[in-house]
Amino acid sequence: MFELKPTINALMRSKLGAVLLILQLAITLAIVSNAVSIIQDRMTYLNKETGYPEDNIFKFNSLNFDKQLDLLQQVELDEQSLRGITGVIDAVAISSVPLSGSGSSGGLQLKPEPQESKRSTMGYVTGDEHILNTLGLSVSEGRDFNEADVVVIDESDARPSVVIVSRALSDELFGAGKGLGETIYWGADPLSIIGIVETMANQWPKSSFGEKAAIIPMIRVGNFQKYLVRTAPGARAQVMRQIEELMLSSHRDRVVSDITGLDQKKARYDAKDVLMMRMLMTLIVVLVVVTALGIFGLSTFNISKRTKQIGTRRALGARKSAIVRYFVVENALICTVGLMLGSAAAVLLGQKLMQWYSVPALGYSFIVVTASLLLVMSLLSVLMPALRAANISPSIATRSV
Amino acid sequence: MFVHYIDLAWRSLRQTPMVTFLMILAIAIGIGVTMTTLSVYHMMSMDPIPHKSDRLFAVQLQTMDDGETWRTDDDIPYQLTYPDAINLQALPGEFARAAMIRAGFSVHLNTPRSKPFIENARVTGRDFFSMFDLTFIHGGAWTEAQSRDAAPVVVIDEEMAQQLFGKTDVVGESLFLGERRQEIVGVTQKWRPTIKFYDLNNGSFGKAERLFVPFSHVKAYDVDTWGNTNGWKFEETRDFNDKMNSEMLWIQFWVQLDTPQQRQAFGDMLMAYMQQQQNQGRFNRDTLAYSLQDVNAWMNYNDVISEDNKILVGLSFMFLAVCVANILGLLLAKFMRRAADVGVRRALGASKRQVFYQHLVEVGLLGLLGGTLGVLFAQLGLLGVRQTYNYYESLANMDWVMLLSAPAIAISACIVAGLYPAWLVCRTTPATHLKVQ
Repeated sequence: MFELKPTINALMRSKLGAVLLILQLAITLAIVSNAVSIIQDRMTYLNKETGYPEDNIFKFNSLNFDKQLDLLQQVELDEQSLRGITGVIDAVAISSVPLSGSGSSGGLQLKPEPQESKRSTMGYVTGDEHILNTLGLSVSEGRDFNEADVVVIDESDARPSVVIVSRALSDELFGAGKGLGETIYWGADPLSIIGIVETMANQWPKSSFGEKAAIIPMIRVGNFQKYLVRTAPGARAQVMRQIEELMLSSHRDRVVSDITGLDQKKARYDAKDVLMMRMLMTLIVVLVVVTALGIFGLSTFNISKRTKQIGTRRALGARKSAIVRYFVVENALICTVGLMLGSAAAVLLGQKLMQWYSVPALGYSFIVVTASLLLVMSLLSVLMPALRAANISPSIATRSV
Repeated sequence: MFVHYIDLAWRSLRQTPMVTFLMILAIAIGIGVTMTTLSVYHMMSMDPIPHKSDRLFAVQLQTMDDGETWRTDDDIPYQLTYPDAINLQALPGEFARAAMIRAGFSVHLNTPRSKPFIENARVTGRDFFSMFDLTFIHGGAWTEAQSRDAAPVVVIDEEMAQQLFGKTDVVGESLFLGERRQEIVGVTQKWRPTIKFYDLNNGSFGKAERLFVPFSHVKAYDVDTWGNTNGWKFEETRDFNDKMNSEMLWIQFWVQLDTPQQRQAFGDMLMAYMQQQQNQGRFNRDTLAYSLQDVNAWMNYNDVISEDNKILVGLSFMFLAVCVANILGLLLAKFMRRAADVGVRRALGASKRQVFYQHLVEVGLLGLLGGTLGVLFAQLGLLGVRQTYNYYESLANMDWVMLLSAPAIAISACIVAGLYPAWLVCRTTPATHLKVQ
């Protein structure tokens, strides 16, 4: 009932238009399904929970240049005054800022160096007993640090003896759900796991070890110090404005810099991925528009070429719906071939991308969904020219020989 | 004739404004997308110092024990240890060399009116300026003796001189790095390579430093790096002195070797140095290895062009192919509909070749128009890139190579698309179309 045979015969007579459409659709399917797959991969990463209330936390740096200054005392003083600001929940001098893409990483292992043992790479931060609260984290198992846990690294031989780790880190080293109370080694130094935080990203959330993080209760002061402050919801902007003046008022010989929200830090770290996503989205949109235009243009051309043929059919008694159906079926045929070819091309492209770059495997569902949408789009773009064709008057057939 | 064809083409385009508009739009979008990704790629892959990029080498030593691996392809770490840097600096020979780190200071003039600010600094040897082509507008690099004695001297660039003193001729003036007074011995011209190729370890697209101090300050004033420090074994470091004596990797080292002989000699020296160190208990490996990579190899080795960029360039060329297919279809439609016209022209004596050329001129014109509009689209695209990712600020731009490439690519793409329709139309036999009239 779809007059398949005559449609195919007619198509075979003017192949080029059909071939062009098939190519366009095939490439479009290959590009769009792979681009959507990459976008989806980045989205999953960008939406992943980091564990921190990023909107309520900000950081800043202080660079002291007074050689006479007792740095440790100044840090204590700074923390005191930060914690005293109205709207501030807690503040801490921290070794590096989570989610920022810079800081210290290292390995924790089951046996002390130089023995060989299972080892896990992680990002770590150090600070005093306020660190967990300032980060807005809480332990799901075990306890938080107390004042006695905190070690100041200076001339003495004191070393920290406890650590709080993320669930991902303890799971990797000790198996799912285990780890609390166990001892792990940081070089040759033993650290006892006193607490586990369910979700806590480290400084490099995008890396392969992005969920493995450790917090070590230790203070090592230098003239360049980072601070982290958590405020009540909504109070952050107003607190951030006071920071520079407050810090300089207690000690003038320093530079306060990079007063930045944790969400902004993360946004900067992720900017490359956001850029890739935006570019791929732009590419998809224009590609679909261009392909739709192509289908529209070719159908219009086809119809204008066959005006007389359509008129004749109409004069011979074909209904308008039969004319519309003819073009829709023709388009669907072309589309099917194009999309089949495109599926193969998409798989091939996906394999190549995965082979050359660190791109995730292309899920077949992306191809199926993209192909279905392209089919719908293609039918929609052919509908208008087809309806116009149906309105061709039968009398056109008799106009000229 | 050509002018006549252009006139004909122009009339033809105006006759079918809708199809013409669609075609120009298709090529413009194609060019816009392609040039956006290609421009970023082009800026990233551009040789930052063309006339001597093959004479400047980043030095790498395989310092790690046997069995240790690094994340580079050849397992050799990017940076050097402090002792190695000092020893390489002391090697005999007349070649330019520079050990370096990225550091930072609080800079001020020690007057109540000057508010301290943080400034990145390059801590390096005096050869740095000649090796990387910095131009002095006042004074010059610190002397050999000043470098040896860790004299409190600095070189700044004209922009920073303006910012601090309101003038550029500030040789002999002093500024403060933290609490330390340092004398300005030279002012360089502003120097901002688009890619920070000499220090790819700390972000390839960071801004070049405006402040330079002698490398001897590392030891004299405990100047630590503000860049990456890498380690491959656990070492207890209590203070900066421990770090300087450790196997930690945090120093970059460049040499300029002008001839293959020099290069060979330097390689031999590195080998001899490693053997000598091995005898003292370092470099515990069966086979000693070093690496000398020139500027372009170094950028490649450090993956300056990210995977994302390569993927985008590939996809956008595929996209351009879709646009070409599209235009081919539209051209086919347009040219065939004009077959009657062509029949008349052929009957009046136009040769096939002339008809063919005439149509190619028309698609060429189409390409030019589309390419020009495409450059505008690409500018919008690049604006978007710069706003999303400000590290690309200096990269997401079209230089004149790209500006000229845009219409060239557009015209070629259109001609590729137009060849078949033009050929088809010039084959029209005059008779068939004359009948209808």
